[in-house]
Amino acid sequence: MKSFNAGEENGIKEAVRRFILSSINVTHLDDDDNLFESGIVNSLFAVQLMTFIEKTFAIEVGMDDLDIENFKSLNAAAAFVVRKTGRQGS
Amino acid sequence: MQHLLTDQQKAKHAEFKNFVTLNVEPFAEAWDREQRIPDLVISMLAKCGYLGCSLPRDYGGQGWDIVTFGLLNEALGRGSSSLTGVLTVQAMVSMALLKWGTEEQKGRWLPPLAKGEMIAAFALTEPGAGSAIQSLVTEFTRNPKSDSLILNGNKKWITCAQLAEVFLVFGKLEQRSVACLVPRGAPGLDVEPIHDLMGFRSAGLAELTFNDVEVPSANIVGKPGFALSHVAPVGLQYGRISTACSGLGLLRGCFEESIGYAAVRKIAEKTVGEIGMIRSLIAKMGTDLEAGNFLCHNACRSEEDHVPEAFEKTLTAKYFTSRAAVRAASDAIQIRGASGCHESSPVSRYYRDAKLMEIIEGTTQIHEEILGKIFVGQAGRCGK
Repeated sequence: MKSFNAGEENGIKEAVRRFILSSINVTHLDDDDNLFESGIVNSLFAVQLMTFIEKTFAIEVGMDDLDIENFKSLNAAAAFVVRKTGRQGS
Repeated sequence: MQHLLTDQQKAKHAEFKNFVTLNVEPFAEAWDREQRIPDLVISMLAKCGYLGCSLPRDYGGQGWDIVTFGLLNEALGRGSSSLTGVLTVQAMVSMALLKWGTEEQKGRWLPPLAKGEMIAAFALTEPGAGSAIQSLVTEFTRNPKSDSLILNGNKKWITCAQLAEVFLVFGKLEQRSVACLVPRGAPGLDVEPIHDLMGFRSAGLAELTFNDVEVPSANIVGKPGFALSHVAPVGLQYGRISTACSGLGLLRGCFEESIGYAAVRKIAEKTVGEIGMIRSLIAKMGTDLEAGNFLCHNACRSEEDHVPEAFEKTLTAKYFTSRAAVRAASDAIQIRGASGCHESSPVSRYYRDAKLMEIIEGTTQIHEEILGKIFVGQAGRCGK
């Protein structure tokens, strides 16, 4: 299982940012922008974002991970991936 | 598309087509007329492992890849859209449960679903909420007396509800969306068959009424608040793959019936197939069939590879094949003339079934709305 250290968190964030910018008609996304509350992405995009994260970082999002806090922003998503890979690697 | 398949997939497709030739095509008109699929046929699907074909072997499924799942739906779609509907909803519930169920839920429900000992139905649509699923009014409330929920509301146009022993019911709990497994035998649940549909007449559609139905809280699938954003989309994705491929099978049926007829039917000294206007209809049908094959294969491969584009590819395939099936069925009747308007030819049934494919798992217009938005959103990819 692939794992990430804290220094790689920015790389995770950039990968997620690139994916969102290439999928949604926005030109800029700050690390703490609330993706769902701001309307940047809608619920239809939620599963695509989850699939991207699962595929890119080789993790599986399960029932226990269903928490909007895990996906609400780039920072939140990156922290989730780091946490998840750490947990899965242990 | 055959050259894109592995040898194993080709062999499976041949097996599926043989099953349909022997067990489905000769009887599909009678099922349509009687508005019922015999239990024996459902048992045959179960025995062949078709009802749990996408579930992992650990749960008693076949563990087949999604391309093979698509091929099965294509083959069945050639014979009977209604019968394919059984497979569609079984996969919708099973795969949503596989993704979002607890270990306990999966251990309890998936083995009987995989073996086809239990048929499931996906209870999402309501009399007042079809395409607009956010408008659901079916309501779950917490039972203050026990760790259970009380369910009230109505679901309508639920495929296979006449046969199902368990329903994955979507509604609201404390203003949040929720999905919950509800057994057919639950007191207060009434299943009223819907007869005399235009198409899918033997797909066992029914209306469900829930009057203070008590279900254990442990039957909630996923978490409240995520039923419409995460649980339903997994089921609907499989539903669209199944419907896209079933539509492709129907399209193949129209094509094969048309070329077979055009090759032998004579008008004066010419066969119908020698008439330019008929050739034009067949050319459009054959081209749609080829394009639909590639779109369906691409959708199935994308889902198998678990890439985020799978959603878009599947929408595209379903959008295309459902519309192409309507065109093909209309033209197949036109080619046959009066004989195409009679039940002695399957094309009249194809015509009725095809139209429903433009409505189930998202209407054509909803597909256009979503796909249009997705494509505009991709402007960044081309530097605009």
